Amino acid sequence: MIGNILKRDLKRKKTMNVIILLFVILATMFVASSVNNIITILNGTDYYFDQAGVGDYNILTLGENVVGNLDDFLKNTKEIKSYKKEEVITIGSKAITKDGKTLELEGLMLAQSLEDSCLKFFDENNNVVDSVENGTIYITRELGEGKKFNIGDQITIKVGDVEQSFTIKGRLKDAMLGSSFMGNTRLLMSHDDYKKYTDNPEIARYSRGEMCCMESDDVAAIRKAVGELEGIAFNADRALIKLTYVMDLIIAAVLIVVSICLIIVSFVVLKFTISFTLSEEFREIGVMKAIGISDIKIRSIYFIKYFAIAVVGACIGLSASAPFGNMLLRSVSENMVLGNNGGMLLNIISAVVVVVVIVGYAFRCTGKIKKSSPLDAIRDGQTGERFGKKTTLRIMKSPTPTVAYMALNDVWSSPKRYLTIILAFTICSLLVFVLINTTETMDSDKLAYTFGKQSDVYYGDSLSDDLKAVGVAKDCEKDCQFLKEKLAEKGYDAKVSVEAMFAYKVSFGGESYKVMCDQGINTKTIDYPYYEGEAPKNTHEVAITEQVQKLLGAKIGDVIKITINGHEDEYLVVGYWETMEQQGEMIRLHEDVEFGEQDYIGCAAYQIDFLDHPSKEEISNRVEVIREFMNTKKVWDARDFTVTTMNCLDMMKSVQNLLLGITLVVVLLVTVLMEKSFISDEKGEIAILKAVGFTDGNIISWHVIRFFIVSAISIVLACILAVPATQVAITPIFRMMGMHAVEYNYNLFKLLVQYPGIILVVMMISVVVTAFGTKRITCSDAASIE
Amino acid sequence: MGAVISVKDLCKTYIVDKRQNNVLKNVNFDVEEGEMIAIMGPSGSGKSTLLYSVSGMDKATSGEVMFGGKNITKLGSKELAKLRLTEMGFIFQQMYMLKNLTIFDNIVLPAMQSGAASKEEIKKHGEELMRKLGIIDVADNDINEVSGGQLQRACICRSLINRPKVIFADEPTGALNRSTSEEVLQELLKINEEGTTIMMVTHDAKVAAKCNKVLYIVDGNIKGSYELGRMESPDQIRDRERAVNNWLMDLGW
Repeated sequence: MIGNILKRDLKRKKTMNVIILLFVILATMFVASSVNNIITILNGTDYYFDQAGVGDYNILTLGENVVGNLDDFLKNTKEIKSYKKEEVITIGSKAITKDGKTLELEGLMLAQSLEDSCLKFFDENNNVVDSVENGTIYITRELGEGKKFNIGDQITIKVGDVEQSFTIKGRLKDAMLGSSFMGNTRLLMSHDDYKKYTDNPEIARYSRGEMCCMESDDVAAIRKAVGELEGIAFNADRALIKLTYVMDLIIAAVLIVVSICLIIVSFVVLKFTISFTLSEEFREIGVMKAIGISDIKIRSIYFIKYFAIAVVGACIGLSASAPFGNMLLRSVSENMVLGNNGGMLLNIISAVVVVVVIVGYAFRCTGKIKKSSPLDAIRDGQTGERFGKKTTLRIMKSPTPTVAYMALNDVWSSPKRYLTIILAFTICSLLVFVLINTTETMDSDKLAYTFGKQSDVYYGDSLSDDLKAVGVAKDCEKDCQFLKEKLAEKGYDAKVSVEAMFAYKVSFGGESYKVMCDQGINTKTIDYPYYEGEAPKNTHEVAITEQVQKLLGAKIGDVIKITINGHEDEYLVVGYWETMEQQGEMIRLHEDVEFGEQDYIGCAAYQIDFLDHPSKEEISNRVEVIREFMNTKKVWDARDFTVTTMNCLDMMKSVQNLLLGITLVVVLLVTVLMEKSFISDEKGEIAILKAVGFTDGNIISWHVIRFFIVSAISIVLACILAVPATQVAITPIFRMMGMHAVEYNYNLFKLLVQYPGIILVVMMISVVVTAFGTKRITCSDAASIE
Repeated sequence: MGAVISVKDLCKTYIVDKRQNNVLKNVNFDVEEGEMIAIMGPSGSGKSTLLYSVSGMDKATSGEVMFGGKNITKLGSKELAKLRLTEMGFIFQQMYMLKNLTIFDNIVLPAMQSGAASKEEIKKHGEELMRKLGIIDVADNDINEVSGGQLQRACICRSLINRPKVIFADEPTGALNRSTSEEVLQELLKINEEGTTIMMVTHDAKVAAKCNKVLYIVDGNIKGSYELGRMESPDQIRDRERAVNNWLMDLGW
């Protein structure tokens, strides 16, 4: 008999059963893919670094005759358990030509042979690159994307007097230098082709360097030991390299938040649907009880029903979870090789959890059956004595038209019912709004001061000899003068400044480290903001960042020692500042401190401040003019400079679009399924309204206005929460990058009009189309509905 | 008085599982203004279908239904909705009301929707109807806070709120007990006495005996019509019931 009841139930309540099935499919798909993605992302960089062979501590040396410098250090440092070393050459920013045109490339460019590599590199499909034929070359993804290089393109690379042509074989994923924040380029060629460059004595002298990956249980000791080395262009432990993936991690973190939200939305909606459908069944439960079917048997009917729906839904959802999860991961894994050891097992476990939760919840809901008498059940689960008064708005006091009143009254008197939708829509909208705030901030000049002084124009091209991997700091002064004169020739009176960077040995409390120090040329320390303390006012005062504070344990008032040109001297810490250069680990020296040329690493972009204080539009025009007469594209205003330096805006925008897409799909599904549930539940009311003279249009309007009210509440809530949620969710990520506090750029049009509008429009279209289903209910249905 | 409803060659056919089911077959009859007419017949004979087709709630397959001079089979859904809102009242066996509205708000809802009267007038009329039907005390109650009889009376109030020409009632006492049925019927009789035409489907010969005319329908055809005339005094009820019963038995009831 139970089988027959079930069969009839599945046939008769097709709509509601299909709705539950759809929600189960969605829940399983979201939960399974999200759990897998969360584990994969949490494993992310460690898994990738293990696969690539990144060491516990890693060093890159560059400069004149540095090859061989590391050998004694590697032999004598007892904390080094093992190491791998590879040789590289640096390539100038204008060394590559394609179709006869010289290309301008940003960041450090290294070329090396695959045979000599200690690291493993991966292609776009995450396969290890194990061979490079003569005449072919692999390039890092960043270079390929930014410069529109395609596989099969012919390029020419000229270093010194040696020029070779290559066919691009593929794009590389480089764990050490390949993060978008690093923005460095690696070119992988065959040993024979590489040797053609290094056989040239000029190149061998000026452009060679060594990359070394060390394994150690005492990274701190190695870091201290590196403090004594010269010619270090880059040194970082695993944790610091991980930090360079912070942009990928921001996206990953967004993905984790999205996944958690999708899980919450799925379960909230599922809970609503199950309790909603079960409450509809109390009449039948009452009849079954009245004719003597035992509680256990009645419960088992619903248990079997929900179990069957859950299993079928979970199987479909499980099979959809893998492609859905991969689609989400794709945006994160562009720069990384992501994976986990769990594979589909995690998805299967998640699907089982969904089934258990659904069946458990359905079982708990049917627990009411035991407590109720047949009559209670017939009265829809009410005892008759405990009727709760519903809070209602009164029609006579309502200033709105009747259908609007009905919609408002429904939401007002059954808030619990609409809370599910409000919650789901608010979470989804909030996610989009937080990401909009983040991308809008990155897409503005708000963060420019964290990469230097806030200036009108930034000039990023090299003005020094291209062959030398590292020049001298003194040249920066000459370059500033050169640029100033060039600008003056064009009629622009401007101040040109730059920040030189030095990797000095810094000691405090008996410990020494190599720390990047920043020194302004043609600027003063008072030109920069400090969030605590004050600017260094003489050559024996410095300002430090929060990261340096943590590294050294020094604070304002402490005296640290810095070795410049072989002389160790004392410096008083007088202030804290913030920067995103070097992941925030930097010291600011007074402008009059003598340069330590042997520890000079390079300089940042030249900063141009026009003396006539032009408008933004005029600055944009001048950028174009400077680009033309300096024959370079590396000239930016403050906003473009920030975007170029952070190098992740496009990725953030694509994630934002992906998130908006997911939000719209969730909004569409929740709207359609909820509206279908409401139509099914309110069939009798719709029929009676039609019978008393309400038109189809009135009924559709009633339902649409109801959803409009609910979605408007959600969007208003999301808008209100967007600012604090951005501070709470995104500021810690910026802090990881070296920021102390972030002043966000809130684009009110996007935040209050454009994106809420898009979400609202999708919601309204979904509900209008679904509400057309009410047209199928006729007024004569009032007589035939149970 | 003239016919407020005139039905000519009314047919209604359903297609179920590719099988044609002729529920109404060329039905013809008139309903005079101020009349109270009962439609009787065995289950599945087409009583409710006739009521819904005549009231425009269901589309007739063919034929003509003239309502106040308009052929409602030719009207569009919007015009039909307007007609139902302003000139027709409906009472069903199932006492459907909007569950989020109070009894009073449910009653005045059609009047608010039609917008033909001011809020004050609607309120006054709604209260008047509730008072007349003895449910004014439950005006602010939720629909689950009242008895079945009170709810059905509230449904009657709702059907009257726009002062319709005709009330269509589909077994209005079907879900009520004997004493409540009697009370509800008395209210309908009073409404009819005040001039509202009533067309009612019923299984109960006692209910039919209180009407002016009884139509007996079998297999989609009107098999007979019995003119009872207006009941002048309650003493006539026994004779009327007996007469209706005898007539029905002659028709095979």
